[in-house]
Amino acid sequence: MLVEFQDVCVHLHERPVLHDLTLRVSEARVGVIGSNGSGKSTLARLLNGLVRPSRGTVRVDGYDTVQQTREVRRRVGFVFQNPDHQIVLPIVSEDLAFGLKNQGVPRSEHASRVQQVLADMGIEHLAERSALGLSGGEKQLVALAAVLVMRPQLLVFDEPTTLLDLRNRNRLRAILERLEQPVWVVTHDLELLDGYDRVLVLEGGRIVCDAGPREAVQWYRSHCA
Amino acid sequence: MIHSLYVPGASWLHRQPAVVKLGVLMAAGIMLFLLHHPLPLAIAAGLALVLLASARVPLARIWAQTRGLVVLIVALGGVLTLLQGWAATMMVLLRLCALMCLALAVTFTTRSADLIAACERALRPLERRGWANAAKVSLALALALRFMPEIYRRYELIREAQAARGLRAHPVRLIVPLVISVLKSADEIAEAIEARGFPPTRSQDPP
Amino acid sequence: MNIKDVVLIALFAALIAALSLVPPLPLGVVPVPITLQTLGVMLAGALLGPRRGLLAVLLYTLLWLVGLPILPGGRGGFGVLAGPTGGFLVGMIAGAFVIGALVDLLLRRGQTALRQILLYLLSCVIGGVLVVYVFGVPWLALVTGMGFAKALAGSLVFLPGDLVKAVVTSVVATRVARAWPMQLK
Repeated sequence: MLVEFQDVCVHLHERPVLHDLTLRVSEARVGVIGSNGSGKSTLARLLNGLVRPSRGTVRVDGYDTVQQTREVRRRVGFVFQNPDHQIVLPIVSEDLAFGLKNQGVPRSEHASRVQQVLADMGIEHLAERSALGLSGGEKQLVALAAVLVMRPQLLVFDEPTTLLDLRNRNRLRAILERLEQPVWVVTHDLELLDGYDRVLVLEGGRIVCDAGPREAVQWYRSHCA
Repeated sequence: MIHSLYVPGASWLHRQPAVVKLGVLMAAGIMLFLLHHPLPLAIAAGLALVLLASARVPLARIWAQTRGLVVLIVALGGVLTLLQGWAATMMVLLRLCALMCLALAVTFTTRSADLIAACERALRPLERRGWANAAKVSLALALALRFMPEIYRRYELIREAQAARGLRAHPVRLIVPLVISVLKSADEIAEAIEARGFPPTRSQDPP
Repeated sequence: MNIKDVVLIALFAALIAALSLVPPLPLGVVPVPITLQTLGVMLAGALLGPRRGLLAVLLYTLLWLVGLPILPGGRGGFGVLAGPTGGFLVGMIAGAFVIGALVDLLLRRGQTALRQILLYLLSCVIGGVLVVYVFGVPWLALVTGMGFAKALAGSLVFLPGDLVKAVVTSVVATRVARAWPMQLK
């Protein structure tokens, strides 16, 4: 899946956040790192049209994120940092079906698809639970399941491990490794990027290093720590 | 998890459709205010009581919903009798009793989901005119249900945190952070909803 | 109506419910602990504006009407409409709208905090008290057969408490609006 940024600039609240981004990415595992305020979360949100470029274009699989947002969102699944704000319906199985309803998947297929995704992730027992009673790790898994049930072709994670304890972080890391789709991860958790294909380092709204994980992390450590 | 007042059961009342119960309740409500004689009101109150009893709701549940009111009614009864005399007071109380029993009967024997479905049916003509959007309305309902206990818990966390710092409970100090947290959440929740493709394409569109 | 509006309406309906259920808070000035439901309603109007505020309170009303025990004391259901407080509760829907409309009209960025508190207070008293009583008192008179004058006299007992709640709401709204400016032009 090809992701292309062409001369992209982003201004939010009249402040420049990203400058002159031109990029072609088709790697399977991509990391995005940078200090706070570097623009990495904004970059991630360009991928599914949550943020629109003030200038330039972003294309995912050939689709323009502004002109063809619906097509893009069918293909790009986005997992946010706080699972509490991702689970929007009271019961887990209902919440998973929400995305399917939005996509126009026939109601008759909802139950089986929801069941399958929950089983794949080993959390079928959570299907009829209320979101309130779930632990932090369980919520993160449910939030991910709610995205995976929509069968995205590209996954973007915005700081997936920041709010997790060590055990859940390891669990999530294992799940990330198993995902078949290409994955972009915005993170502070540098260890997560072991074995990744490409890592972008952002600073002041620009990509200051674009390399393999070891080189990028080293650059990051020496310049931004 | 906030549970509805619905009491599961298999009584005749339980089996009636929500729309019918609502309709009858509204009609009865209006009619009761048009009655100004003690006898019809007494009959109405009696019927309403029988109806409520037929639903076989545990007395504890009924008491929980009416206890505050009973105190009020007793006090009210005393005041009214002084002001207006027995007959007038009797009618007021009978009417109140009838209304209350009917309303409780509907509330206890009808699932909230069915009542909401009835409301959605009522909204459909509005939707055709473009004044309401069923998907947004049902999302709003679901979101409210999802976050009620969540926000309650946030309030408790804020209160505990402040108590731990030796601060006494004060509305301003408690509510400001709660409201700000709600406003912050709104942004993130809206993003997550958008990212999952809401609002859905209209059903007439090809998939 | 965009997604953000839908979310705000839903969250504020949930906020009103949560505030209705928390134990009443003691406030030095008033002898009785105050319930927070009214604050939630007034804040919905003050912070979300007339349209969203009205819809938030409407959603809350719909939810207790269909049987969720989210009125103070865990009450709910149609029975409440038949009781003495029914009119006041329905009046809150209009009240939130009026508060929002007045806030839109009167509040501006750059005003001093004190001025904002006073303008919020004015809006809350007119919308959160006056309008609500306009619905509540006649309904009370009708349900209890008391007659308007006596219903009004009875209701005025609650006025000091409601005014205190309006003051608290104004202070909260001012602080929130300054920390999270979204409504102020």
